Amino acid sequence: MLILSRKPGESIMIDGRIHVKVVRVEGEIVKVGIEAPPEVPVHRMEVYLEIQGSNRGAVVTQKPALPRLPVARADGDQTAVAPGHSGPRIVMRPPAQKRGTNAAVQENRP
Amino acid sequence: MTNCVSSTDAPAAPPRPTVYTVRMPTGLLGFEAIREYTLTFHPEEAPFGWLEARDGSGLAFVVVDPFLVVPEYRPDIPPPDVALLGLKGPEDALLLNIVTIHGPQKATVNLKGPVVINRHTWVGKQVVIGNAIEYSVQHPLPVQQSGE
Repeated sequence: MLILSRKPGESIMIDGRIHVKVVRVEGEIVKVGIEAPPEVPVHRMEVYLEIQGSNRGAVVTQKPALPRLPVARADGDQTAVAPGHSGPRIVMRPPAQKRGTNAAVQENRP
Repeated sequence: MTNCVSSTDAPAAPPRPTVYTVRMPTGLLGFEAIREYTLTFHPEEAPFGWLEARDGSGLAFVVVDPFLVVPEYRPDIPPPDVALLGLKGPEDALLLNIVTIHGPQKATVNLKGPVVINRHTWVGKQVVIGNAIEYSVQHPLPVQQSGE
């Protein structure tokens, strides 16, 4: 692991396109800002490891018999767009105007 | 082809599956190098589908439409992911969550990290939802117990 010391306000550039900045230190909490191209996913490590672990545990190479579930709809085509099916239940906020603006740096807290 | 055979003569052909190709530019978490999958729904396996890697590895995942099994699920898709996938609104998104089969009568679904697919472009991404803290990576599915 490469270890660099940074003061608040100082930054690191990775691969010429990923910018990591120590925004602020509040007691023991370090606020880290990341600017990266949209196709570069960035995750808190513990969440990443949890989902990676879950994905790895879910892999099948020999298809098992699938369990039977009671469901609201019996038809097999999950992709038919039923009016209102996905509408009210997926929450989507409008995307930010422009990445990298310093207006209201928003903290993402999953 | 059996089109001209009378229905009393031949056994009915099994219902045909629906098959899609999904591109995932960032892959699944832990499987980032795999960028293309085949998504298949066999009607007799509803509500489950199969997400199978197209790289010849034989890697496959069982997926399910989360709203059919967890009606109260309200995933918050982060704005950068909405933009990356080109979603104009919730109706553009197809969500499929990865299922872990623990045994013949035990299965769980990952509600923290749905695969979000744009229905028009068939480009998808495994997204960590904004409200992941409210949900489990191993949410139990209500499997019907046999023999009861």
